[in-house]
Amino acid sequence: MQRLIVLITTLMLAACSDPRQQVTTQLADQVLLPAHQQWQSRNMTLLDSTRAWCSGDQELASLKQAFHQSQSAWSRLQPLMVGPLSEGNRSWQVQFWPDKRNMVARQTEDLLDEFADLTQPQLEGASVVVQGLTAFEYVLFDEQTAVTENRDRYCPLLTGIARHQLTLSDQVLALWQQPEGMLDKLTSFPNARYANADEALGGILRVQVTGVDTLKKKLGTPMGRLNSGVPQPYQAEAWRSRHSTENLQASLAGAQAVWERVRSLVGDAGLVADIDQAYKTIRDQLEALPAPLMELVQDPTRQAQLQSLYQNLDALETLQQDDLARHLGIQIGFNANDGD
Amino acid sequence: MLSRVSTGGLLLASLLLSACSDEPAATPAPAYDEARARLVINHYADLALAAYSDALSEARELRGQIDALLAQPNAETLAAARQAWRDARVPYMQTEVFRFGNAVVDEWEGQVNAWPLDEGLIDYVADDYQAVMGNPGARANIIASQSLKIGEQQLDLSELDADLLASLNELGGSEVNVATGYHAIEFLLWGQDLNGTDAGAGERPATDFATGEAATGGHNDRRRDYLTVVTDLLISDLEAMVAEWQPDQDNYRADLAADSVENGLRKMLFGMGSLSLGELAGERMKVALAAHSPEDEHDCFSDNTHFSHFYNGKGIENVYLGEYQRVNGDTVSGPSLSDLVAASEPQLDEALKADLNASEAALQTLVDSAASGVHFDQLIAPGNAEGAATVNGAIDALVEQTTRIEKAALVLDIQALNPDTANHSF
Repeated sequence: MQRLIVLITTLMLAACSDPRQQVTTQLADQVLLPAHQQWQSRNMTLLDSTRAWCSGDQELASLKQAFHQSQSAWSRLQPLMVGPLSEGNRSWQVQFWPDKRNMVARQTEDLLDEFADLTQPQLEGASVVVQGLTAFEYVLFDEQTAVTENRDRYCPLLTGIARHQLTLSDQVLALWQQPEGMLDKLTSFPNARYANADEALGGILRVQVTGVDTLKKKLGTPMGRLNSGVPQPYQAEAWRSRHSTENLQASLAGAQAVWERVRSLVGDAGLVADIDQAYKTIRDQLEALPAPLMELVQDPTRQAQLQSLYQNLDALETLQQDDLARHLGIQIGFNANDGD
Repeated sequence: MLSRVSTGGLLLASLLLSACSDEPAATPAPAYDEARARLVINHYADLALAAYSDALSEARELRGQIDALLAQPNAETLAAARQAWRDARVPYMQTEVFRFGNAVVDEWEGQVNAWPLDEGLIDYVADDYQAVMGNPGARANIIASQSLKIGEQQLDLSELDADLLASLNELGGSEVNVATGYHAIEFLLWGQDLNGTDAGAGERPATDFATGEAATGGHNDRRRDYLTVVTDLLISDLEAMVAEWQPDQDNYRADLAADSVENGLRKMLFGMGSLSLGELAGERMKVALAAHSPEDEHDCFSDNTHFSHFYNGKGIENVYLGEYQRVNGDTVSGPSLSDLVAASEPQLDEALKADLNASEAALQTLVDSAASGVHFDQLIAPGNAEGAATVNGAIDALVEQTTRIEKAALVLDIQALNPDTANHSF
C-alpha cells in the first residue's frame, strides 16, 4: 500500500504539475530568455557599428541596418517582456512612442545645444525621450539633422544611446539569469513572485495579450482611430525610418511564439483552429501591405485593407484575452493600455 | 488482493482526474450573495449620482464667480474664479472612476474633460508653443478669428455659441483640439504656463477680460463670451450626466440595474483598475515623469495636478468602500464591494483596504509637496531625483493596489475584466 501511495504521488506530480509547468518552463527557456539574449546581442552590434561609422570606417547604410536589427529585436521582445523590462521605465528607455508633440526632435536638439560634447552621465541624467531608439532613429533618418554632414554634433549622442541600450540589456539579462532571477521565478515554484506555474503562465499571457493590444494601438493610431478617422501619419511608430510594418511583423511573431507553446494545453480543437487561423490571416495581411504604413494610412484606396487588418487583430486579442484565458482558467488582469 | 489493486487503480484514476481536470474539483459555493450584490451595484449608482450632482453644483458656483469676474475684472475676482474652478474639480475628479467601464460616461467625457490640448486653438499663445505634429488647428485662435479655413472647409466663427464650440472639438480630426470642458476653462482663467518645469503656473492677467482702456490680450469681448458659453455648456453637460444616474427613470442607471450582477460588478472593478493603472499611474504620471514633459501634466495651466490625482485616487477608494464625502460634508455610505469581498476572503479585503490607504498617503505627498511650493511640474523636472522618487512612490502604490483589485475580482469570480470584450460572441 505504501508503494502504491508513492506511485500515486509520483504519478500525480508527473501528470499534474507537468503540462502547465512544462509549457511555462519551455516558454521561459526557449522563447522569453532567447528573445532577451537576441536583443542584447543586437545592441552589441549596434554599438560596434555606431563606433565604426563615427570613426569613418563604415557606411551609413550599414549603421542603418544595425539600427533596424536592434529595433526588430525590440519589437519581437515586446509581447515577451515579462518581468524586468516591463518594470520601472525600462521599456521607455528603449523607445518613446507615441511622440505626438515631436518631443524627440526638441529634446535631442536642446540636449546637444546644452552639451556640445555629451558625456554618458549627462545622457543618463536626461529624459527617456533622448536615451532610446526613437532618438537614434530621429538622428539617422530625419532630414533636418543631415547627419552625414553633422557627424561631430550627433556622434556623441548616437554612441551614448547605443551604449545605454547595451547597458540596459545587460542589466535586464542579469536580472533574468541571476540566482532567484526571472528565469528561476518562471521555472521553480512557489517563489516570491508566483505561487505556482498557473500564475506564471498567467503573467506571460498577460504580457503577450498586452503586446497584441499594443499592435492594435500602433496600427490604429496612425489610421486615425482616435481622431475621427483622420489619418495621423506622424503618429505611426518608426515613421521616420518607414519601418512600422516590419516592427508589427516582428511583434506578431513574438506573440505567436508564445501561442505555439501554449497550444498544447488547449483541449478545444475549434479554439486552436481559430487562433491558428487568426495568426495566419494577420501575418498574410501584413505581408501584403505594399508600402510603408505612414503612406498607406494617407491613401484612401487602402483604408478597407487596413480596417480589415485592425479588425483581425481585435479578433485575435479577444480570442486570447477572453476565450483562451477562460479555457485555461487564467485571469489576464489589467493592462497598461486599459483606460486609453 | 485483486480487488484492492483495482480499488487502488480507481482511486488513482479519480485522484488524477480531480487533480488535473480543467474544472474545479467540487462545485464551489457562489462567490457572493446575489441579492446583496444587487444592493452594492445600486449603491454604486447612488455614489455616482451624488458625485455628479456635486460636480454640477460646483460648476454653477464657478459660473457665479465668472459673472463676478466679467462684471469687474481685477486680481481679486480672477483669484475667486480660479478658486471656484479648483473647488469644482474636487467632486469631478472623484467621478472619473465611473468613466471606465460605463460607456455612457466615456462617450460623454470628451466634451467635458478632454486633455491634453493644443491651447492655441482657443486663444493667443507664446511663439515657442509646442503643438502636436500635423495638427491643422494648433494655432487657429478661435477668440481672435471670425472664420477658419481647415483644408477645403471654411468655418464661420462669428457667433460663439455652445453648438459651435462643441463642433470644434477634434477639429480636423485632432484629439488635441479641445474647445470645451474643464481644461478649456482652465486655460482661459490661467493662460499658458510658460515656466516649463520651474515654479509657477499660468499668469493671465485679469485685464484679458477687461473692456475699454485697461484691456489686454485683444478680442476681449470674444474671450468674455467664450468663457461664459463654455461654462454654461459644462453645466448642461453635467446636468445630462446627473440625469443618467437618477433612480426610477428610463436612463443609464436603469440599464445597469437590468443587466446581470456579474456585469455590474465587472464595471465597478474595471473602472477602479483602469483608472488606477493605465490612466492615473500611466498616462497622467509616468508619461510626464519619464519624458520630463510638463505638456503632459494633467492640469498644466493651473498647476492643480496634485489635487486632480489625489481625488482620482479618492474616487477609486470610494467605489470600493461604498463611501463618498459630499461637498457639503455629508457622507454617503452603503453596501460595498468591500463587504462582498470580506464575506468570502476577509484577509484580502483588509489587504486591499491597506493598499488603498497606502496609495492615498502616497498621493497625499504630491499634495503636501505642492503646499510647500513644489508642484507636479517641478517634481518631474530633469535631475530632480527626489521629485521623481515622490512621483514614483505614488505610481508604485497604484500599481500595487491594481494587482490587489485583480485578486478581489477573482474572489468575486470575475476573470475577464474588460466589459467591452467580456461578453462578445462570434
